[in-house]
Amino acid sequence: MPREVALGDALVPGALLLFLAMAAMLWLLDWIAGRFDLYRFVWHPALVRLAVFVIAFGALGLILY
Amino acid sequence: VAQRRIAQKGIIGTRLPRNYTFTITAVTTTTAANAAPSPARIVLDTLREERGAWLFVARTAIALYLTGWLAMRFALPQPGTAMMTVVIVANRQTGMVLAKSFYRVIGTLSGAAVALFLVGVFPQERMFLLPALAMWIGLCAGGALMFRNFASYSFVLAGYTAMIVAVPAIANPLRDFDSATARVSEVLLGIVVAGVVSDTIFPTRLRDALLHTARTQFQHFMRFITGASQGAADAKTVEQAYLRSMRESIALEDLRSSVIFEDPATRARNEQLQTFNHRFMEASTSLQSLHHLLDRLRRIGSHRAVAELTAQYRLLGEALNVPDADYIAPLLLPRLEELRPRLVEQGERACSTLAEESIDFQTGHVLILRLVDELQRYARAALSLRAPRIERPHGRMRFVRSNDVAGSLVAGVRGMLTVLVAGLFWIESAWPSGVGVMVTAGIFASIFASSPDPVRSALQLLTGWASGLVVSFFALFFILNQTNGYELLVAATLPLFLPSVYLLTRPTLAGIGTGYAMGLVSNIGFANTMNFDVAYFLNDGIGQIVGVGVATLAFLLIPSHTGSGWFRHRQLARLRGQIALAADAPLAGLLQRFESVMRDLIQQIIARTTQGDAGGAGPLAWGLAVHETGRALIELRQAAAGLAPPLAAPVADAVKSLAHFYEHPGAQRYTMTNRSITTAIAAIQAAQPASQLDPVLVHLHLLRLAMLDAASVVAQYRPADENAQENPHAA
Repeated sequence: MPREVALGDALVPGALLLFLAMAAMLWLLDWIAGRFDLYRFVWHPALVRLAVFVIAFGALGLILY
Repeated sequence: VAQRRIAQKGIIGTRLPRNYTFTITAVTTTTAANAAPSPARIVLDTLREERGAWLFVARTAIALYLTGWLAMRFALPQPGTAMMTVVIVANRQTGMVLAKSFYRVIGTLSGAAVALFLVGVFPQERMFLLPALAMWIGLCAGGALMFRNFASYSFVLAGYTAMIVAVPAIANPLRDFDSATARVSEVLLGIVVAGVVSDTIFPTRLRDALLHTARTQFQHFMRFITGASQGAADAKTVEQAYLRSMRESIALEDLRSSVIFEDPATRARNEQLQTFNHRFMEASTSLQSLHHLLDRLRRIGSHRAVAELTAQYRLLGEALNVPDADYIAPLLLPRLEELRPRLVEQGERACSTLAEESIDFQTGHVLILRLVDELQRYARAALSLRAPRIERPHGRMRFVRSNDVAGSLVAGVRGMLTVLVAGLFWIESAWPSGVGVMVTAGIFASIFASSPDPVRSALQLLTGWASGLVVSFFALFFILNQTNGYELLVAATLPLFLPSVYLLTRPTLAGIGTGYAMGLVSNIGFANTMNFDVAYFLNDGIGQIVGVGVATLAFLLIPSHTGSGWFRHRQLARLRGQIALAADAPLAGLLQRFESVMRDLIQQIIARTTQGDAGGAGPLAWGLAVHETGRALIELRQAAAGLAPPLAAPVADAVKSLAHFYEHPGAQRYTMTNRSITTAIAAIQAAQPASQLDPVLVHLHLLRLAMLDAASVVAQYRPADENAQENPHAA
């Protein structure tokens, strides 16, 4: 994946697109977790959410840089 | 012993699902209160009470400086804007922060898009651009009034973001895109940081408040029925209960609309919560109707029917009288299921003994049976909120609001004129800070449009803003000019900033706190290269103050129509118009729509009539009459759906004439309506044996009793000669 993507002739950083994609993924995971009440196995749901996001975004970000 | 009992409760509490947190906290606080208060204890308790407030202060400060640091690291042009966002979305409850953030994102994105469009259409042409911007702001300010929750905020933001983005690009249109990206990045950065911080660091969850509200709503309602059925309720108590149910259902809806942003488990149960609230509204209206009917029957002297009905009502009250428990829905459901056949059987027996008053009894009997059914559904909805499996209820039940277009129109015109006048002033005076006046005036003209008392809010904000300006002057020119590096910036501004966040936790001072924090953050102008220009600072500061002043002036000159006599008149007309809705609209989903719209309308009326105001009693009386009649109309239409055409015609006629009467109440229409209801009753009675329980007949009779009630607000239209014939059995 290129570091910068031209969207309608505007250069958008690839990291931003990844960020948005990961946010969408997080939303999906969150929805699933809420639907089946998976957060009851977790002490601090918000922290887990944040950690999952940071891991996913960081790992994919490594591909970029 | 007490301690051991509490310890046991605690152990049980840890095994219970998390929904029970509320009881456990309640238990701990009561023990603290029971212990003998020592001075150290008092200090500790105060600290514990204040803990939430100070955690909030800490969260906000962390979010604020983290945002500033990131914005400077990313070399955004105005880190101050990102920090301002944190100040604006700051709230004690996580759900509120996330909800407001969500709508702020929507507003910012659409505002920036509009700014790009407008500058693209009118490059370097402020005589066209400004009116176009003013119209957009007016549109958004008007749209904001259509919503009661944070959604209105996204309209406000869409309006003024367009201005903030477009104005710097007026002379230099090529900067427009950069201006838009910068604004969007700064705002989004602030939102992400504020959201993450308030969600992860000692979050205060609204979810608990929501569960608590739902539970107290349920329990209070059941307790009220038990109490009222023992004859412990006079008209005043019943009216209070009505208002209370109104507030409770709206409070639950408001909470729900914020909590779904905070808690995925609640989001998954969103539709169940909506259903739960609607079941409550249905049942509470039926309860009101029952009480009014009993009063009316007592007044017209139908004592035997009243005695039978009170006995039935008491049975219901006894069935609901379960021992105090945390969670009573599972106990109630079997009792209600067992009660219904008993009531039906008893009703049949009573019908045969009551001769002339049998129709009165049947009317009440049907109401009680309906109430029992609704209570069963309500209890089932309460159970489903806790059920481990989430089942989707059939059909979505939305809470529909009712809006006055005139209010939006006034707000829109006011917003537009404010921006136009301020823009004209800027162009004519050629004052460089005139643009600040225009932007600030535009922002506050749209923000305060939905405030119940805009002038007071604006003055509060102005006070805060002015003090923030003064403080930031000293901070900027006496302290910050001697510091270097981000750590020192934080050290120098944190003490100035903290008091304002603390003010935010006090409801009465929140306006001043917001103003102070905003004035401080915007005037210090956090940036990588700070700007220490005294003349610019003073010009800009004065411009902002004048801007807030212009917005305040706009609210004084074009007063918000809420609270004015004209507004009350319109609101009353809208209230009565709901009868037409109940009479005309398609039946599918009508009940839910009617119940929620009525609550929204009545809540608006109550919220905007000050206490002790004589004008408040009239609307409330109308509200009661419309609510009851509308509900009965809907039930009548549902019952009459399968009626044969010769019978359906007089019923439809009665429905229509009622709608006419409520639209323009008058003596002539009153007589006509009464006559058409009587005709319909006669037609139905002629077709059926009198002893049979016919829902159409019963609801017609209910409507007729409501029309003839001397204590009702519609009684004022009764012609003098009809006063003599009080007896509804005359037909």
